Amino acid sequence: MRELMDSYDVVVVGAGPGGSMASYASAKNGVKTLLIEKSQEIGEPVRCAEAIPSIEEFGIKPSPEFVRNIIKGGILFSPSGKKVVVTQGKAQGFVVERKIFDKYLAVRAGRAGAKIAVKSTVVGLERDGDYWNVIVEFLGEEYVVKTKIVIAADGVESNVAEYAGLKAKKKPLDICSCAEYEMTNVELFDKNMMEFYFGNDVAKGGYAWIFPKGETANVGLGVRDKKKKAIDYLEEFIENSLASDKLKNATPVEFKVGGAPVSGPIEKTYADGILVVGDAAGQISPLTGGGIYLAMDCGLMAGEVASKSIKSNNWSEDVLKEYEKLWKEKHYEYLLNHLKYRKILEKLSDDELDALAEALGDNLDGIDLKKFVKRIITKKPSLLKYFKDLI
Amino acid sequence: MVKVNYKRCGYCGACVGVCENLAINLIEHIVVIDEKKCSDCNLCVIVCPLNALEGEK
Repeated sequence: MRELMDSYDVVVVGAGPGGSMASYASAKNGVKTLLIEKSQEIGEPVRCAEAIPSIEEFGIKPSPEFVRNIIKGGILFSPSGKKVVVTQGKAQGFVVERKIFDKYLAVRAGRAGAKIAVKSTVVGLERDGDYWNVIVEFLGEEYVVKTKIVIAADGVESNVAEYAGLKAKKKPLDICSCAEYEMTNVELFDKNMMEFYFGNDVAKGGYAWIFPKGETANVGLGVRDKKKKAIDYLEEFIENSLASDKLKNATPVEFKVGGAPVSGPIEKTYADGILVVGDAAGQISPLTGGGIYLAMDCGLMAGEVASKSIKSNNWSEDVLKEYEKLWKEKHYEYLLNHLKYRKILEKLSDDELDALAEALGDNLDGIDLKKFVKRIITKKPSLLKYFKDLI
Repeated sequence: MVKVNYKRCGYCGACVGVCENLAINLIEHIVVIDEKKCSDCNLCVIVCPLNALEGEK
């Protein structure tokens, strides 16, 4: 592939939403950019539940080409079936067809001037003065691509950040193991509401979801459990849970598995000539596992900072650290808060989850964190020990 | 060394994400474990959603 026989200013590894946005920003700023994707098809295989809170803010129209459904909010189910409704803020958004959406974003990067190499796997990085030699395999041949900056957007399985000396590996219980059937004939409470099911038997250390997607719905779950596998929880959820009745006529049209790194961001997301973006950087909500929007936004920042540094002819970590400053200003607090909430939730027994749902009432709208905690401890003082640190 | 049951594997890459020795690579749809680098820590076995990895007992 001729794309692999050239040198670049910026090489982005991984054509998910984060990598494609980084490539887009970098190429748009006139910097010579290569986006490398290991699969022969961008966007495949899909590994997630496909919900994203916002796309318009990136200047992308929510086109029916990839938007399968508009989401107005979520319904949370406690283990015994108590419902709590949320309809505002980040609970709204879209369910997209990831394999089309991801490809759309890659095409958008290509049209902005980025070159793209597909079916190409990065197998190593070598430092060469102020440059990187990116070792790439394509159809069994090895290519060496010289670049000034590498943006590692290679997902949960990121080895590229590690090749560059950054710590990106996770502990097993820091990764939520997910399994999902996309199904048709799912009976929904509301075709525009996402459903979330909690409970230690339903999905230990995570939750189960039904995300409506138009004619289908993503029915899946994520767990953090040393004993029982996600797939076994999933079969159980379909056969024998609060949702079973609504799933009795449902049948799969796709199977998806994934690992969501839900332990918060990695320690450092930059070094000389390298930036880390998206799941690889832990830019994903530790509470919901939502990461498409964060990866896109941080990818955009990485592409901006990388191209600026190329133009100023200095891509040392002193300049690239601007990236971490920018994304932390915007998203760090959110990520750490979600990590805190998740750590509380995972301590609760099923009875306590039911008590929490009772205390919260039917609707969470118009409630801030202080009111939220106040509601819990007035109604269920026994839960105070878990929530007192939040106020 | 950990063995991959390719009939169960869903090629999600979760195993790669926990391998501190960088012994695992997901090359397109194929998980490849480097025998020389695998330390038999079995962390990948825990994280696999599909029980596709078998550790040495």
